[in-house]
Amino acid sequence: MTRLGFDPDELAACVGCGLCLPHCPTYRVTGLESASPRGRITAMRVVEEGMPLDDAFSTVIDECILCRGCEAACPSGVQYGHLAEAARERVARRRPPMRRLVEWVAFVAVLPRHSVLLACTWLLLVAQRLHLVPARLGLPRLSPRSLRTPIVPDGDPTAYLFTGCVMDAWQRDVHRAAVHVMRSCGAQVGLPTAGGDCCGALHAHAGRVGEARRLARRVMASMPGDAPIVVDSAGCGAAMKDYGRLLGGPAAAAFSARVQDFAEWVAARGAPPLRDTGITVVVQDPCHLRHVQHAEGSVRTILHDAYRLVETDDDGMCCGAGGAYAVTERDLATRVRDCKVAAIRAAAGAMPFLVASANPGCAMHLDAAGLDVRHPAELLAAALDDPKGAM
Amino acid sequence: MCFPESIEEISAAVGIACRHRVPFVARGSGTGLAGGATPVGDPLVIVTTRMNRILEIDAADRVAWVEPGVCNLDLSRSARHLGLHYAPDPSSQQACSIGGNVGTNAGGPHCLRDGVTSAHVLAVDVVLADGVITRLGGLAPDTPGYDLRGCFVGSEGTMGIAGRIAVRLLPDPPAVRTLLLDFASVAAAAATVSGIIAAGIVPAALEMMDAPITRLVEDFVGAGYPRDAEAVLLVEVSGLPEGVAAEVSGIGQVGRDHGARHVRVAADDAERELLWKGRKSAFGAIARIAPDYYLHDAVVPRTRLVEVLARVREIAAAQDLLVMNVFHAGDGNLHPLLVFDAREPGIWERVHAAGNGIVRACVEAGGVLSGEHGIGLEKRDLMPLVFDPDDLDAQARLRDAFDPSGLANPEKVLPRGSRCGEATRAPEGTWV
Amino acid sequence: MSAIEDVARSVERAAAVEITGAGTHCGIGAPVVTEGPLTRVAAPAGIVDVQPADMTVRVLAGTPVASLAAALAEHGQECPLDPEDARATVGGVLACGVSGPRRLRHGPLRDAVLEVRVVTGEGRVVRGGGPTVKNVTGYDLPRLLVGSHGTLGVVVEVVLRTQPRAETGRWFTTTAAPGELRARLYRPACLAWDGARTHVLLEGHAADVDAEARMLDLVPTASPSRPPGAHRGRISVEARRIGALATRLRDLEVTWLAEVGVGTVHVGATDPGALDAARFAASAEGGWLLREAGAPDLDPFGLPVPNSALHERVRAAFDPLGKLNPGRLPIAQVQT
Repeated sequence: MTRLGFDPDELAACVGCGLCLPHCPTYRVTGLESASPRGRITAMRVVEEGMPLDDAFSTVIDECILCRGCEAACPSGVQYGHLAEAARERVARRRPPMRRLVEWVAFVAVLPRHSVLLACTWLLLVAQRLHLVPARLGLPRLSPRSLRTPIVPDGDPTAYLFTGCVMDAWQRDVHRAAVHVMRSCGAQVGLPTAGGDCCGALHAHAGRVGEARRLARRVMASMPGDAPIVVDSAGCGAAMKDYGRLLGGPAAAAFSARVQDFAEWVAARGAPPLRDTGITVVVQDPCHLRHVQHAEGSVRTILHDAYRLVETDDDGMCCGAGGAYAVTERDLATRVRDCKVAAIRAAAGAMPFLVASANPGCAMHLDAAGLDVRHPAELLAAALDDPKGAM
Repeated sequence: MCFPESIEEISAAVGIACRHRVPFVARGSGTGLAGGATPVGDPLVIVTTRMNRILEIDAADRVAWVEPGVCNLDLSRSARHLGLHYAPDPSSQQACSIGGNVGTNAGGPHCLRDGVTSAHVLAVDVVLADGVITRLGGLAPDTPGYDLRGCFVGSEGTMGIAGRIAVRLLPDPPAVRTLLLDFASVAAAAATVSGIIAAGIVPAALEMMDAPITRLVEDFVGAGYPRDAEAVLLVEVSGLPEGVAAEVSGIGQVGRDHGARHVRVAADDAERELLWKGRKSAFGAIARIAPDYYLHDAVVPRTRLVEVLARVREIAAAQDLLVMNVFHAGDGNLHPLLVFDAREPGIWERVHAAGNGIVRACVEAGGVLSGEHGIGLEKRDLMPLVFDPDDLDAQARLRDAFDPSGLANPEKVLPRGSRCGEATRAPEGTWV
Repeated sequence: MSAIEDVARSVERAAAVEITGAGTHCGIGAPVVTEGPLTRVAAPAGIVDVQPADMTVRVLAGTPVASLAAALAEHGQECPLDPEDARATVGGVLACGVSGPRRLRHGPLRDAVLEVRVVTGEGRVVRGGGPTVKNVTGYDLPRLLVGSHGTLGVVVEVVLRTQPRAETGRWFTTTAAPGELRARLYRPACLAWDGARTHVLLEGHAADVDAEARMLDLVPTASPSRPPGAHRGRISVEARRIGALATRLRDLEVTWLAEVGVGTVHVGATDPGALDAARFAASAEGGWLLREAGAPDLDPFGLPVPNSALHERVRAAFDPLGKLNPGRLPIAQVQT
């Protein structure tokens, strides 16, 4: 193990060819080597060689969205995500006290405690109604009806839907749509029991690996048995598919093997009968769906019959949301988003369109830029022959 | 380090460097392989990555004006809807910049028929070493006076910095076919290369990969490259349909005459692109077997390919190094890759010894030091292998004519002591 | 080898040198002027080495283009050096920078030269470039020498790129708009437009040539002749401005033939004044006219070289005493 805590062979794998550069969203908007995967790996190398782990290094590491677009482009197969997460773990330890306090509140006090998160959400809702929440924060408009109405699981589940933390509080309607579609496919839908609220993805991204592991164990305990675990948040799905590596051991690996993205699960079972809506949909690939889960094809498969799908010509470039990135690196996140929004609008041309995004973070980030973003589950539910359904 | 956003800002940066007598070096995407953009000493590094606008595409006249930081592949992508493309396609084309391509006179697989960068650059607005902005070449076919544009292309930043570049775009061919031929020996593949040319066929591209690299590439792309072949040829022909069909069958025949085991013709664009993705990822994919590689770039006459490849293998074996070959066979442009782990003690001495041996073998076979990567730092001291003192002196004087102050990317291209009787002739301030 | 050394010794000893070839392009550039004695020097002739499998040929610069073409034809190859008069020497065509009519497809002359050996003004034999088809070793002296009118060195030997001769090469004619022809034909070798008709040279596989000719109703014909007249010149203008230039030329007493897509317009006149008027028309469209024959009182270039200081320094790098073809190019001599 090295100073930054990873396998030296993983760092040595980069030959510095630069083929990753055009696939890096932050390099594309800044033109800075230090904002590229190659530059970040160079920074990690000099720290390994004894340079101080200083603010400059923190900036270099924090500016990465962790989209992992570079991994797909890398002919050497550099596991950049592992390197960056490990480096971020070291960087996280030397943050200023105020930021550590804010992070502690978010990551330890709120996210893993679903009742606290829901209570905060109610407060936020009231604040929204009183026009106390600045629009520039880009939060979704919260719905009291949705927050009041829980989803009732079926007994004896043949598939779980993982509901998560923020998504369950802010976008529960997506879960409702997903449950509706899953039931139309003939599944009995179970939900995680108490404690399985937060997958720990944001913690791992923020370099809080210990907490991420603790949360992972809770999630595993909340969905026993061997029924498939359907995840309608690409970020959560990617993290849960990685529990095997995060925790090690056969139980975690077996759990990870059960995890499927919503689109993968539907595509494997065959979508229920759909009507052709004739609506144009621009598909946005969340990075954790495309570069990590490699499930972007399934989204197209399940939507193909009901919508006119349009592709952007940016090779699936990141939108800049990146979990908490849109909050912590607002300027870069906005510049990256501007490129994405331009690509989406160019793809749609003059047609009115919706945007499909399988990740709540991306959806909120793009929604705040004025796009009409829907989850594939919502699009499918709206195109079912019986759109009202049982719920 | 500075990040100019216009040619005027480059000029300002160069002007400041001049006033303070600080050397300067331009840098694009940092994909160069000869160290041409590597800072030596403590120069001002002028990075062009923010100058990445395509200024104009004239579809009727097939000319594009671009800034130097524009990525090579982005230019072709932007012209695609017009049925046009930019022909030079280095393997790093998804990342490398046009400015860097101009600096090194970059090549690529498709330069076999259509020529390297210099054949596609019509005009360059350059910032000379004293900060003056001037145009070299022009959109008219001829300019009075010398071809300073031709001289500037490939000068690796030692004659100034390109700030705006006018390039020629070519029409997309109506028909394109890509063939994959596999052989039981490198000699058979090399003989096929000569045979294709002798048959009067100049393919758009003609690439060779040897066995180790073919297997490696197949692991990365899964394009169906044969894992048991000793060598494969990737051949592309393009043009009007009847001519292309005739060339496809001609190449197939030449291949079979020389013992090709299979001649596969890609069925569609997707298959073509996958085959090319494999070829263009080859260098990066090396890290799958060892963390470091040393890539050479020498050219030999096509007719000497077989013997030079055998020499290359002997030289590498003598230093107990693994060597892989993936290269532009049609041009005779070799890219032997020495694969190693730099953490192994004493390895660099062996790698350098092998590298030197390979270059000398290529020169002895009537070749040159570099076909497309440039001289930079890496091969600077090998220049006397191919040029005698008078040749080097002439080049040094030419450089001084462009850059009397000697501040533009010093220490690159020409070895020290290139100038004969430097002391008497060199303008004031020239580095020695 | 000794022939090259002889040239070097002559240049070294001479006070001023005029480089001579076959004299086919002697109307290009200003006459050589010198106050002292003038030594005439010619490059040796002979084909050194044809390498058909490498698609290269090494040739001494005094070789007539016709001899080179014949030697290459034996191997089914060619080098797109297409001077009007094939008695011209290889070195002369290169020094004058005269790209042939097939430039649209085959590129300018400068792209055909791989290696040069020149005798500099100090009588040194200097080599630049290299014998292989691809090469970035050192600065690009070959391109610099092409079109230098003998003012940088006496070109004594070159390695040229060759290519297989196309299976078919046929001229056609049509009244279709040249812009449309350019857009619809795939890389024709030449589109020569005289304002009324366009002569089209198509090269390639016979079936493709036929198909393209049918598609555009092209009629077979002979190759077009250059505009007649004792006073001739060559306009160089941005290709997109040929239409506008044609409108201006129509009002003049000149005949002309434009290479569409290239930007070269050949002009012929019976009256030198008309050639001057054509030069004025060219400059109004941002171009310039090079005098090629006749019109002795006309300035050979009609405009100063751009970047004159840089040109002067480049010239001084190769010919510090200004011995070679003095006066031919409008480049002053740096005081050394």
